[in-house]
Amino acid sequence: MLDIHKKYIKKICDIMGEDFDDPTCREVLEHLNKCPSCKVYYDTVKKTVLLCQENDCPETLPEEVNSRLMKVLDLDEIYKDSKAHPQNS
Amino acid sequence: MNETELIKRAKQGDKVALSRLINTYSERIYNLALRILRNREDAEDILQETFLTVIEKLDQFDGRSSFFTWVYRIATNASLMRLRKKKVIFQQLADNPDFQESVESRVFVDWSQDPSLSIYDQEVKKKIDQAINSLSDIYRSVFILRDIENLSIKETSEILNITQENVKIRLRRARQFLRNYLSDYFEERLVKKDA
Repeated sequence: MLDIHKKYIKKICDIMGEDFDDPTCREVLEHLNKCPSCKVYYDTVKKTVLLCQENDCPETLPEEVNSRLMKVLDLDEIYKDSKAHPQNS
Repeated sequence: MNETELIKRAKQGDKVALSRLINTYSERIYNLALRILRNREDAEDILQETFLTVIEKLDQFDGRSSFFTWVYRIATNASLMRLRKKKVIFQQLADNPDFQESVESRVFVDWSQDPSLSIYDQEVKKKIDQAINSLSDIYRSVFILRDIENLSIKETSEILNITQENVKIRLRRARQFLRNYLSDYFEERLVKKDA
């Protein structure tokens, strides 16, 4: 692989998720239009991050987990009270 | 009541204020630990450990960083400590800091446009989980904070107590590792499909 690819591959990963108006980003994006190898690399890294993000499913904190947390922290009375009277919390 | 007031009151021993502060962040902390440790029991332990530490050290919180950053730092450190103890980390990245250079010898196959690549495919989902599980702790934490939690480079550097330049380097290595890991499988899948 040519040195120019090595240089741009490092830059590609740096700019992803950054402001594309930045001069460094513009330089990389312009290079991508001319270089099929780097474009494939860029697209596959981008797809990798996207797949990982889609695969991530944040969970609602289970009620029993929250309840145990409050007990451990000695806040269970306040927790029970706030559940019984949510307007006061 | 705003967060600064809640912190002030919690420091004075107001348990209602403390409880409200904890409720603001508990779900995020649980999910952060779950993302790093990938196990619900461990995530619950970290959740408890984090807020026990928060209560113990609340007096030391001086507001130089945001409360969110401070709590996240405690939770991330606790999660990474647990990860190291469990020895579930894979050392290939740490042992080979230049591993990303190996990418240069590869021929790039464009699997990004393969329409069959979906997280609803259990095999794809499993591969993604395996790839993230294979990331060593220092890369996994940066990848999760930056790419999954969408925190800024500045926030990530403050939470992990590393420079912003270091965040970028680790993120680049994490992304390259994940891409290479998945490429082996996705390229093979593409070839089989075309055969």
